[in-house]
Amino acid sequence: MIRATSVLALAAAAAVPWVQARVDGALGAFRAQDEVLYLWKGSQVKRMVPGFEHLAADLYWLRTVQYFGGERVFAKDKRFDVLYPLIEITTTLDPRMEIAYRYGAVFLAEQYPIGAGRPDLGIAVLERAVQNNPASWRLHQELGFFHFVYRRDAKRAAEVLVEASRIPGAAFWLKNLAAEILGKGGERDIARRMWREMLEQSEGALRENARIHLMALDAADAVDLLNGRVALFRERMGRLPRDLGELTAAALARGPLVDPAGIPFEYDSQTGKVAVSRTSYLRRDDLMGETR
Amino acid sequence: MVAVAANTFRETVRERVLYNLVFFAILMTLCGLLLGQLSIRQDEKIIKDIGLAAMELFGHVIAIFIGIALVSKEIERKSLYPLLAKPLSREELFLGKFAGLGFTLLVNVGAMAAGLFATLLVTRGEADPALLKAVFAIYLSLLLVVAIAMLFSAVTSTALAAVCTVCLVLAGRFSDVVRNMKQVAPGVPDRLVDFLYFALPNFRNFDLKDKVTYGEFVPWHVLGWITLYNVVYITVLLGIGLACFRRKEFQ
Repeated sequence: MIRATSVLALAAAAAVPWVQARVDGALGAFRAQDEVLYLWKGSQVKRMVPGFEHLAADLYWLRTVQYFGGERVFAKDKRFDVLYPLIEITTTLDPRMEIAYRYGAVFLAEQYPIGAGRPDLGIAVLERAVQNNPASWRLHQELGFFHFVYRRDAKRAAEVLVEASRIPGAAFWLKNLAAEILGKGGERDIARRMWREMLEQSEGALRENARIHLMALDAADAVDLLNGRVALFRERMGRLPRDLGELTAAALARGPLVDPAGIPFEYDSQTGKVAVSRTSYLRRDDLMGETR
Repeated sequence: MVAVAANTFRETVRERVLYNLVFFAILMTLCGLLLGQLSIRQDEKIIKDIGLAAMELFGHVIAIFIGIALVSKEIERKSLYPLLAKPLSREELFLGKFAGLGFTLLVNVGAMAAGLFATLLVTRGEADPALLKAVFAIYLSLLLVVAIAMLFSAVTSTALAAVCTVCLVLAGRFSDVVRNMKQVAPGVPDRLVDFLYFALPNFRNFDLKDKVTYGEFVPWHVLGWITLYNVVYITVLLGIGLACFRRKEFQ
Protein backbone atom coordinates (compact mmCIF):
# COMPACT_ATOMS: atom_id res chain seq x y z
CA MET A 1 0.00 0.00 0.00
CA ILE A 2 2.78 2.43 1.04
CA ARG A 3 4.79 1.49 -2.06
CA ALA A 4 1.83 2.11 -4.36
CA THR A 5 1.18 5.51 -2.73
CA SER A 6 4.85 6.48 -3.11
CA VAL A 7 4.88 5.53 -6.79
CA LEU A 8 1.67 7.49 -7.34
CA ALA A 9 3.09 10.55 -5.55
CA LEU A 10 6.31 10.39 -7.62
CA ALA A 11 4.36 10.04 -10.85
CA ALA A 12 2.15 12.98 -9.90
CA ALA A 13 5.22 15.08 -9.03
CA ALA A 14 6.75 14.29 -12.41
CA ALA A 15 3.51 15.23 -14.15
CA VAL A 16 3.33 18.73 -12.59
CA PRO A 17 5.82 20.43 -14.99
CA TRP A 18 4.14 18.73 -17.97
CA VAL A 19 0.69 19.96 -16.95
CA GLN A 20 2.06 23.45 -16.15
CA ALA A 21 3.62 23.63 -19.63
CA ARG A 22 0.20 22.77 -21.12
CA VAL A 23 -1.46 25.47 -19.00
CA ASP A 24 1.16 28.01 -20.16
CA GLY A 25 0.56 26.93 -23.74
CA ALA A 26 -3.16 27.43 -23.36
CA LEU A 27 -3.08 30.74 -21.51
CA GLY A 28 0.17 32.26 -22.76
CA ALA A 29 3.50 32.46 -20.97
CA PHE A 30 2.72 35.87 -19.59
CA ARG A 31 -0.68 36.17 -18.05
CA ALA A 32 -1.45 39.64 -16.86
CA GLN A 33 -3.09 39.49 -13.49
CA ASP A 34 -6.48 41.12 -13.38
CA GLU A 35 -6.09 44.16 -11.19
CA VAL A 36 -8.61 44.28 -8.44
CA LEU A 37 -8.99 46.95 -5.81
CA TYR A 38 -11.14 45.98 -2.86
CA LEU A 39 -10.84 49.39 -1.27
CA TRP A 40 -11.07 52.40 -3.58
CA LYS A 41 -10.56 55.23 -1.13
CA GLY A 42 -7.43 56.20 0.72
CA SER A 43 -9.51 57.09 3.78
CA GLN A 44 -10.88 53.52 3.93
CA VAL A 45 -7.41 51.97 3.72
CA LYS A 46 -6.12 54.42 6.32
CA ARG A 47 -8.63 53.13 8.85
CA MET A 48 -7.42 49.58 8.30
CA VAL A 49 -3.78 50.22 9.14
CA PRO A 50 -3.53 52.50 12.19
CA GLY A 51 0.12 53.31 12.84
CA PHE A 52 1.30 51.65 9.66
CA GLU A 53 0.05 54.21 7.11
CA HIS A 54 3.48 54.86 5.61
CA LEU A 55 4.24 51.18 5.19
CA ALA A 56 0.88 50.74 3.45
CA ALA A 57 1.63 53.79 1.28
CA ASP A 58 4.92 52.20 0.21
CA LEU A 59 3.16 48.96 -0.68
CA TYR A 60 0.48 50.81 -2.65
CA TRP A 61 3.18 52.84 -4.42
CA LEU A 62 5.01 49.65 -5.39
CA ARG A 63 1.72 48.29 -6.68
CA THR A 64 1.09 51.51 -8.64
CA VAL A 65 4.48 51.30 -10.34
CA GLN A 66 4.04 47.61 -11.12
CA TYR A 67 0.49 48.14 -12.38
CA PHE A 68 1.43 51.04 -14.65
CA GLY A 69 4.55 49.27 -15.96
CA GLY A 70 2.65 46.02 -16.48
CA GLU A 71 -0.14 47.67 -18.43
CA ARG A 72 2.17 49.89 -20.45
CA VAL A 73 4.67 47.21 -21.40
CA PHE A 74 2.83 43.89 -21.38
CA ALA A 75 -0.91 44.40 -21.76
CA LYS A 76 -2.40 44.18 -25.24
CA ASP A 77 -5.44 46.28 -24.46
CA LYS A 78 -3.90 48.78 -22.13
CA ARG A 79 -6.23 49.86 -19.36
CA PHE A 80 -5.38 52.25 -16.59
CA ASP A 81 -8.68 52.09 -14.68
CA VAL A 82 -7.08 51.45 -11.30
CA LEU A 83 -4.23 53.95 -11.71
CA TYR A 84 -5.92 57.01 -10.24
CA PRO A 85 -7.41 55.19 -7.21
CA LEU A 86 -3.99 53.64 -6.50
CA ILE A 87 -2.32 57.05 -6.57
CA GLU A 88 -5.10 58.54 -4.47
CA ILE A 89 -4.74 55.78 -1.86
CA THR A 90 -0.93 56.12 -1.81
CA THR A 91 -1.01 59.88 -1.33
CA THR A 92 -3.76 59.75 1.27
CA LEU A 93 -1.74 57.27 3.31
CA ASP A 94 1.40 59.37 2.95
CA PRO A 95 0.50 62.93 1.93
CA ARG A 96 4.16 63.92 1.81
CA MET A 97 5.27 61.32 -0.75
CA GLU A 98 6.27 63.79 -3.49
CA ILE A 99 7.45 61.12 -5.85
CA ALA A 100 3.98 59.54 -5.95
CA TYR A 101 2.39 62.88 -6.92
CA ARG A 102 5.01 63.73 -9.53
CA TYR A 103 5.23 60.35 -11.24
CA GLY A 104 1.55 59.64 -10.72
CA ALA A 105 0.60 62.89 -12.47
CA VAL A 106 2.84 62.04 -15.43
CA PHE A 107 1.50 58.47 -15.64
CA LEU A 108 -2.05 59.85 -15.75
CA ALA A 109 -1.48 62.85 -18.02
CA GLU A 110 0.63 61.38 -20.80
CA GLN A 111 -1.33 60.62 -23.94
CA TYR A 112 -2.65 57.10 -24.38
CA PRO A 113 -1.05 54.52 -24.72
CA ILE A 114 2.13 56.04 -23.24
CA GLY A 115 0.06 57.04 -20.23
CA ALA A 116 -3.58 57.01 -19.22
CA GLY A 117 -4.43 60.05 -21.38
CA ARG A 118 -6.16 61.78 -18.45
CA PRO A 119 -4.43 65.14 -17.90
CA ASP A 120 -7.44 66.26 -15.85
CA LEU A 121 -6.67 63.55 -13.29
CA GLY A 122 -2.95 64.33 -13.46
CA ILE A 123 -3.74 67.92 -12.58
CA ALA A 124 -6.12 66.78 -9.82
CA VAL A 125 -3.26 64.77 -8.30
CA LEU A 126 -0.97 67.81 -8.38
CA GLU A 127 -3.70 70.05 -6.94
CA ARG A 128 -3.84 67.67 -3.96
CA ALA A 129 -0.04 67.66 -3.84
CA VAL A 130 0.23 71.44 -3.41
CA GLN A 131 -2.63 71.42 -0.92
CA ASN A 132 -0.85 68.83 1.22
CA ASN A 133 2.64 70.28 0.69
CA PRO A 134 2.23 74.05 0.55
CA ALA A 135 5.95 74.63 1.13
CA SER A 136 7.09 72.64 -1.91
CA TRP A 137 7.74 75.05 -4.78
CA ARG A 138 8.64 72.16 -7.07
CA LEU A 139 5.15 70.69 -6.79
CA HIS A 140 3.65 74.13 -7.48
CA GLN A 141 5.96 74.51 -10.45
CA GLU A 142 4.87 71.16 -11.85
CA LEU A 143 1.22 72.05 -11.40
CA GLY A 144 1.86 75.25 -13.36
CA PHE A 145 3.65 73.28 -16.08
CA PHE A 146 0.80 70.80 -16.31
CA HIS A 147 -1.80 73.56 -16.66
CA PHE A 148 0.18 75.07 -19.50
CA VAL A 149 1.39 71.94 -21.30
CA TYR A 150 -1.63 69.67 -21.00
CA ARG A 151 -4.50 72.12 -20.68
CA ARG A 152 -3.17 75.17 -22.51
CA ASP A 153 -4.46 77.25 -19.62
CA ALA A 154 -1.88 80.03 -19.63
CA LYS A 155 -3.71 82.17 -17.07
CA ARG A 156 -3.94 79.45 -14.43
CA ALA A 157 -0.39 78.28 -15.19
CA ALA A 158 0.96 81.79 -14.63
CA GLU A 159 -1.03 82.15 -11.39
CA VAL A 160 0.39 78.89 -10.02
CA LEU A 161 3.94 79.82 -11.05
CA VAL A 162 3.63 83.20 -9.33
CA GLU A 163 2.40 81.37 -6.20
CA ALA A 164 5.41 79.04 -6.51
CA SER A 165 7.82 81.97 -6.83
CA ARG A 166 6.61 83.34 -3.47
CA ILE A 167 7.58 80.16 -1.60
CA PRO A 168 10.90 80.56 0.26
CA GLY A 169 13.76 78.97 -1.67
CA ALA A 170 11.88 78.95 -4.99
CA ALA A 171 13.82 79.25 -8.25
CA PHE A 172 14.31 82.87 -9.35
CA TRP A 173 13.11 82.29 -12.92
CA LEU A 174 9.57 81.24 -11.98
CA LYS A 175 8.32 84.85 -11.98
CA ASN A 176 9.87 85.55 -15.41
CA LEU A 177 8.31 82.42 -16.81
CA ALA A 178 4.90 83.41 -15.49
CA ALA A 179 5.31 86.83 -17.12
CA GLU A 180 6.31 85.22 -20.42
CA ILE A 181 3.26 83.00 -20.36
CA LEU A 182 0.97 85.94 -19.76
CA GLY A 183 2.82 87.92 -22.44
CA LYS A 184 1.59 85.30 -24.92
CA GLY A 185 5.06 84.30 -26.01
CA GLY A 186 5.34 81.44 -28.51
CA GLU A 187 3.63 78.49 -26.82
CA ARG A 188 6.11 76.00 -28.13
CA ASP A 189 9.08 78.04 -26.90
CA ILE A 190 7.57 78.29 -23.42
CA ALA A 191 6.79 74.58 -23.42
CA ARG A 192 10.39 73.90 -24.48
CA ARG A 193 11.69 76.00 -21.62
CA MET A 194 9.45 74.16 -19.15
CA TRP A 195 10.53 70.75 -20.33
CA ARG A 196 14.18 71.85 -20.21
CA GLU A 197 13.73 72.84 -16.57
CA MET A 198 12.06 69.49 -15.93
CA LEU A 199 14.97 67.71 -17.65
CA GLU A 200 17.51 69.51 -15.50
CA GLN A 201 15.66 68.96 -12.24
CA SER A 202 14.57 65.34 -12.70
CA GLU A 203 16.08 61.91 -12.75
CA GLY A 204 15.07 58.55 -14.11
CA ALA A 205 11.71 58.18 -15.87
CA LEU A 206 10.71 61.83 -15.37
CA ARG A 207 13.95 62.99 -17.01
CA GLU A 208 13.39 60.58 -19.88
CA ASN A 209 9.84 61.85 -20.29
CA ALA A 210 11.08 65.44 -20.45
CA ARG A 211 13.73 64.44 -23.03
CA ILE A 212 11.05 62.82 -25.24
CA HIS A 213 8.86 65.92 -24.97
CA LEU A 214 11.79 68.11 -26.06
CA MET A 215 12.42 65.79 -29.02
CA ALA A 216 8.71 65.97 -29.91
CA LEU A 217 8.92 69.77 -29.89
CA ASP A 218 12.00 69.62 -32.17
CA ALA A 219 10.08 67.28 -34.49
CA ALA A 220 7.14 69.72 -34.58
CA ASP A 221 9.56 72.56 -35.47
CA ALA A 222 11.06 70.45 -38.25
CA VAL A 223 7.56 69.73 -39.60
CA ASP A 224 6.79 73.47 -39.68
CA LEU A 225 10.02 74.11 -41.56
CA LEU A 226 9.28 71.38 -44.10
CA ASN A 227 5.73 72.64 -44.62
CA GLY A 228 7.23 76.04 -45.42
CA ARG A 229 9.60 74.41 -47.92
CA VAL A 230 6.70 72.56 -49.55
CA ALA A 231 4.91 75.91 -50.01
CA LEU A 232 8.09 77.37 -51.51
CA PHE A 233 8.39 74.40 -53.86
CA ARG A 234 4.79 74.94 -54.99
CA GLU A 235 5.50 78.63 -55.61
CA ARG A 236 8.51 77.82 -57.74
CA MET A 237 7.25 74.76 -59.60
CA GLY A 238 3.52 75.44 -59.73
CA ARG A 239 2.72 72.05 -58.24
CA LEU A 240 3.11 70.10 -54.99
CA PRO A 241 6.14 67.82 -54.63
CA ARG A 242 5.32 64.12 -55.23
CA ASP A 243 7.45 63.14 -52.24
CA LEU A 244 9.86 64.74 -49.81
CA GLY A 245 12.79 63.56 -51.94
CA GLU A 246 11.85 66.25 -54.43
CA LEU A 247 12.49 68.90 -51.80
CA THR A 248 16.03 67.59 -51.38
CA ALA A 249 16.51 67.40 -55.16
CA ALA A 250 15.37 71.01 -55.48
CA ALA A 251 17.89 71.99 -52.75
CA LEU A 252 15.04 73.11 -50.48
CA ALA A 253 15.91 70.55 -47.81
CA ARG A 254 19.07 68.78 -46.75
CA GLY A 255 19.99 65.42 -45.26
CA PRO A 256 17.66 62.56 -44.36
CA LEU A 257 14.17 63.92 -43.63
CA VAL A 258 13.59 62.11 -40.36
CA ASP A 259 12.40 63.16 -36.91
CA PRO A 260 14.81 63.17 -33.92
CA ALA A 261 13.88 59.52 -33.29
CA GLY A 262 15.16 58.66 -36.80
CA ILE A 263 11.71 57.89 -38.28
CA PRO A 264 10.95 59.48 -41.70
CA PHE A 265 8.30 62.21 -41.75
CA GLU A 266 4.95 61.46 -43.37
CA TYR A 267 4.00 63.42 -46.45
CA ASP A 268 0.57 63.66 -48.06
CA SER A 269 1.12 64.51 -51.74
CA GLN A 270 -2.59 65.38 -52.15
CA THR A 271 -2.66 68.12 -49.53
CA GLY A 272 1.04 68.89 -49.38
CA LYS A 273 1.13 68.44 -45.62
CA VAL A 274 4.15 67.09 -43.76
CA ALA A 275 3.63 65.39 -40.39
CA VAL A 276 5.47 63.32 -37.77
CA SER A 277 4.95 59.65 -38.64
CA ARG A 278 2.11 57.81 -36.93
CA THR A 279 4.64 55.12 -36.05
CA SER A 280 6.90 57.58 -34.22
CA TYR A 281 6.69 57.93 -30.47
CA LEU A 282 7.38 61.63 -31.00
CA ARG A 283 4.03 62.23 -32.68
CA ARG A 284 1.96 64.51 -30.49
CA ASP A 285 -1.42 65.35 -31.88
CA ASP A 286 -1.60 68.38 -29.61
CA LEU A 287 1.44 69.88 -31.33
CA MET A 288 0.13 69.40 -34.88
CA GLY A 289 -0.79 72.54 -36.72
CA GLU A 290 0.54 74.75 -33.95
CA THR A 291 3.26 77.25 -34.76
CA ARG A 292 6.23 78.40 -32.74
CA MET B 1 13.77 40.93 41.79
CA VAL B 2 16.98 41.17 39.75
CA ALA B 3 17.35 37.39 39.95
CA VAL B 4 13.77 36.94 38.68
CA ALA B 5 14.41 39.43 35.88
CA ALA B 6 17.64 37.67 34.85
CA ASN B 7 15.89 34.32 34.94
CA THR B 8 12.98 35.70 32.88
CA PHE B 9 15.46 37.03 30.32
CA ARG B 10 17.12 33.61 30.01
CA GLU B 11 13.72 31.95 29.82
CA THR B 12 12.41 34.25 27.07
CA VAL B 13 15.57 33.88 25.03
CA ARG B 14 15.09 30.13 25.21
CA GLU B 15 11.63 30.70 23.75
CA ARG B 16 13.41 31.36 20.48
CA VAL B 17 12.50 35.01 20.45
CA LEU B 18 15.83 35.77 18.87
CA TYR B 19 14.98 33.66 15.83
CA ASN B 20 12.67 36.42 14.69
CA LEU B 21 15.71 38.69 14.55
CA VAL B 22 17.34 36.47 11.96
CA PHE B 23 14.11 36.52 9.97
CA PHE B 24 13.94 40.28 10.36
CA ALA B 25 17.54 40.77 9.24
CA ILE B 26 16.99 38.61 6.14
CA LEU B 27 13.75 40.43 5.34
CA MET B 28 15.41 43.82 5.69
CA THR B 29 18.37 42.89 3.52
CA LEU B 30 16.13 41.47 0.82
CA CYS B 31 13.97 44.56 0.93
CA GLY B 32 16.98 46.80 0.59
CA LEU B 33 18.25 44.90 -2.40
CA LEU B 34 14.95 44.38 -4.19
CA LEU B 35 12.88 47.45 -3.51
CA GLY B 36 15.39 49.83 -5.01
CA GLN B 37 14.56 48.27 -8.36
CA LEU B 38 10.81 47.96 -7.82
CA SER B 39 10.06 51.44 -6.52
CA ILE B 40 11.05 54.65 -8.22
CA ARG B 41 13.71 56.36 -6.10
CA GLN B 42 11.93 55.43 -2.89
CA ASP B 43 14.21 52.62 -1.76
CA GLU B 44 15.66 54.46 1.24
CA LYS B 45 12.27 55.61 2.51
CA ILE B 46 10.85 52.13 2.01
CA ILE B 47 13.73 50.54 3.95
CA LYS B 48 13.12 52.95 6.83
CA ASP B 49 9.35 52.46 6.75
CA ILE B 50 9.58 48.68 6.57
CA GLY B 51 12.34 48.56 9.18
CA LEU B 52 10.46 50.62 11.75
CA ALA B 53 7.07 49.04 11.02
CA ALA B 54 8.52 45.51 11.25
CA MET B 55 10.22 46.44 14.52
CA GLU B 56 6.88 47.60 15.92
CA LEU B 57 4.87 44.70 14.54
CA PHE B 58 7.27 41.90 15.55
CA GLY B 59 7.83 43.63 18.87
CA HIS B 60 4.10 43.76 19.59
CA VAL B 61 3.67 40.07 18.76
CA ILE B 62 6.55 39.14 21.05
CA ALA B 63 5.36 41.46 23.81
CA ILE B 64 1.78 40.14 23.69
CA PHE B 65 2.45 36.43 23.54
CA ILE B 66 5.46 36.21 25.80
CA GLY B 67 3.98 38.78 28.16
CA ILE B 68 0.93 36.60 28.61
CA ALA B 69 2.90 33.38 28.87
CA LEU B 70 5.04 34.84 31.66
CA VAL B 71 2.34 34.63 34.29
CA SER B 72 -0.71 32.76 33.07
CA LYS B 73 1.15 29.79 31.60
CA GLU B 74 3.09 29.41 34.83
CA ILE B 75 -0.21 29.39 36.68
CA GLU B 76 -1.75 26.85 34.29
CA ARG B 77 1.33 24.58 34.35
CA LYS B 78 1.54 25.02 38.12
CA SER B 79 5.24 25.81 37.76
CA LEU B 80 4.57 28.96 39.79
CA TYR B 81 4.05 27.04 43.04
CA PRO B 82 7.69 26.10 43.72
CA LEU B 83 8.65 29.74 43.06
CA LEU B 84 6.08 31.03 45.54
CA ALA B 85 7.32 28.55 48.12
CA LYS B 86 10.71 30.30 48.05
CA PRO B 87 11.44 33.45 50.06
CA LEU B 88 10.18 35.62 47.26
CA SER B 89 7.28 38.04 47.43
CA ARG B 90 4.61 38.11 44.75
CA GLU B 91 5.54 41.74 44.01
CA GLU B 92 9.15 40.76 43.33
CA LEU B 93 8.03 37.92 41.10
CA PHE B 94 5.55 40.01 39.12
CA LEU B 95 7.77 43.07 38.68
CA GLY B 96 10.85 40.92 38.09
CA LYS B 97 9.10 39.20 35.22
CA PHE B 98 8.12 42.58 33.76
CA ALA B 99 11.71 43.81 34.05
CA GLY B 100 13.07 40.59 32.50
CA LEU B 101 10.82 40.77 29.48
CA GLY B 102 11.49 44.50 29.22
CA PHE B 103 15.22 43.71 28.97
CA THR B 104 14.59 40.99 26.38
CA LEU B 105 12.64 43.50 24.31
CA LEU B 106 15.42 46.05 24.70
CA VAL B 107 17.94 43.57 23.28
CA ASN B 108 15.46 42.61 20.58
CA VAL B 109 14.73 46.19 19.52
CA GLY B 110 18.44 47.03 19.70
CA ALA B 111 19.31 44.17 17.36
CA MET B 112 16.50 45.15 14.98
CA ALA B 113 17.69 48.76 14.97
CA ALA B 114 21.23 47.55 14.25
CA GLY B 115 19.81 45.53 11.33
CA LEU B 116 18.02 48.62 10.02
CA PHE B 117 21.13 50.81 10.24
CA ALA B 118 23.28 48.08 8.65
CA THR B 119 20.84 47.80 5.73
CA LEU B 120 20.81 51.56 5.27
CA LEU B 121 24.61 51.66 5.27
CA VAL B 122 24.90 48.73 2.83
CA THR B 123 22.42 50.35 0.45
CA ARG B 124 24.16 53.74 0.90
CA GLY B 125 21.09 55.24 2.49
CA GLU B 126 21.17 57.93 5.13
CA ALA B 127 21.54 56.23 8.52
CA ASP B 128 20.13 59.22 10.37
CA PRO B 129 20.66 58.88 14.16
CA ALA B 130 17.28 60.63 14.60
CA LEU B 131 15.73 57.27 13.65
CA LEU B 132 16.66 56.19 17.17
CA LYS B 133 13.99 58.53 18.53
CA ALA B 134 11.33 56.50 16.71
CA VAL B 135 13.02 53.28 17.90
CA PHE B 136 12.88 54.56 21.48
CA ALA B 137 9.18 55.41 21.12
CA ILE B 138 8.52 51.91 19.73
CA TYR B 139 10.33 50.42 22.73
CA LEU B 140 8.15 52.45 25.09
CA SER B 141 5.03 51.17 23.34
CA LEU B 142 6.28 47.58 23.70
CA LEU B 143 6.72 48.05 27.45
CA LEU B 144 3.14 49.28 27.61
CA VAL B 145 1.96 46.21 25.69
CA VAL B 146 3.83 43.94 28.13
CA ALA B 147 2.15 45.69 31.07
CA ILE B 148 -1.28 45.19 29.47
CA ALA B 149 -0.53 41.54 28.74
CA MET B 150 0.69 40.93 32.29
CA LEU B 151 -2.40 42.61 33.77
CA PHE B 152 -4.75 40.38 31.80
CA SER B 153 -2.69 37.26 32.40
CA ALA B 154 -2.91 37.92 36.14
CA VAL B 155 -6.70 38.00 36.10
CA THR B 156 -7.76 35.49 33.46
CA SER B 157 -6.79 32.46 31.38
CA THR B 158 -4.07 32.49 28.68
CA ALA B 159 -6.49 32.49 25.74
CA LEU B 160 -8.74 35.18 27.14
CA ALA B 161 -5.76 37.28 28.18
CA ALA B 162 -4.45 37.11 24.60
CA VAL B 163 -7.79 38.19 23.16
CA CYS B 164 -8.21 41.03 25.67
CA THR B 165 -4.66 42.29 25.15
CA VAL B 166 -4.96 42.29 21.37
CA CYS B 167 -8.31 44.09 21.58
CA LEU B 168 -7.02 46.75 23.96
CA VAL B 169 -3.88 47.34 21.90
CA LEU B 170 -5.96 47.66 18.74
CA ALA B 171 -8.38 50.02 20.46
CA GLY B 172 -5.42 52.10 21.62
CA ARG B 173 -4.21 52.41 18.04
CA PHE B 174 -7.56 53.94 17.07
CA SER B 175 -7.40 56.65 19.73
CA ASP B 176 -7.60 59.37 17.08
CA VAL B 177 -10.89 57.84 15.90
CA VAL B 178 -12.19 57.85 19.47
CA ARG B 179 -11.23 61.50 19.86
CA ASN B 180 -13.10 62.44 16.67
CA MET B 181 -16.05 60.17 17.40
CA LYS B 182 -18.42 63.14 17.64
CA GLN B 183 -17.95 63.85 13.95
CA VAL B 184 -19.60 60.59 12.94
CA ALA B 185 -21.81 60.07 15.98
CA PRO B 186 -22.89 63.52 17.23
CA GLY B 187 -25.20 61.99 19.84
CA VAL B 188 -22.40 60.44 21.89
CA PRO B 189 -21.97 62.30 25.20
CA ASP B 190 -18.78 64.33 25.49
CA ARG B 191 -17.95 62.73 28.81
CA LEU B 192 -18.04 59.25 27.31
CA VAL B 193 -15.75 60.33 24.48
CA ASP B 194 -13.35 61.94 26.94
CA PHE B 195 -13.46 58.92 29.21
CA LEU B 196 -12.68 56.51 26.39
CA TYR B 197 -9.98 58.77 24.98
CA PHE B 198 -8.15 59.13 28.28
CA ALA B 199 -8.79 55.61 29.58
CA LEU B 200 -7.57 53.70 26.54
CA PRO B 201 -3.79 53.40 26.14
CA ASN B 202 -2.93 55.92 23.42
CA PHE B 203 -0.56 54.08 21.12
CA ARG B 204 -0.60 56.96 18.64
CA ASN B 205 1.62 58.83 21.11
CA PHE B 206 4.47 56.49 20.28
CA ASP B 207 4.19 56.76 16.53
CA LEU B 208 7.13 58.93 15.50
CA LYS B 209 7.98 56.80 12.47
CA ASP B 210 6.48 59.18 9.91
CA LYS B 211 8.28 62.18 11.34
CA VAL B 212 11.76 60.68 11.49
CA THR B 213 11.46 59.06 8.08
CA TYR B 214 10.98 62.50 6.53
CA GLY B 215 13.80 63.93 8.63
CA GLU B 216 11.44 66.07 10.69
CA PHE B 217 12.92 67.15 14.00
CA VAL B 218 11.29 65.54 17.03
CA PRO B 219 11.83 67.84 20.04
CA TRP B 220 13.28 66.26 23.14
CA HIS B 221 10.41 67.50 25.28
CA VAL B 222 8.03 65.38 23.14
CA LEU B 223 10.10 62.32 24.01
CA GLY B 224 10.00 63.41 27.63
CA TRP B 225 6.22 63.69 27.68
CA ILE B 226 5.61 60.34 26.01
CA THR B 227 8.09 58.71 28.41
CA LEU B 228 6.19 60.21 31.33
CA TYR B 229 2.87 59.04 29.86
CA ASN B 230 4.36 55.56 29.51
CA VAL B 231 5.64 55.50 33.09
CA VAL B 232 2.31 56.71 34.49
CA TYR B 233 0.21 54.29 32.44
CA ILE B 234 2.48 51.31 33.17
CA THR B 235 2.40 52.15 36.88
CA VAL B 236 -1.40 52.02 36.79
CA LEU B 237 -1.49 48.75 34.84
CA LEU B 238 1.16 47.00 36.92
CA GLY B 239 -0.45 48.32 40.10
CA ILE B 240 -3.82 46.78 39.19
CA GLY B 241 -2.14 43.62 37.90
CA LEU B 242 -0.11 43.27 41.07
CA ALA B 243 -3.17 43.79 43.27
CA CYS B 244 -4.98 41.01 41.39
CA PHE B 245 -1.93 38.74 41.44
CA ARG B 246 -1.47 39.28 45.19
CA ARG B 247 -5.06 38.29 45.92
CA LYS B 248 -5.12 35.36 43.55
CA GLU B 249 -5.74 32.00 45.18
CA PHE B 250 -3.57 29.25 43.73
CA GLN B 251 -5.05 25.79 44.17
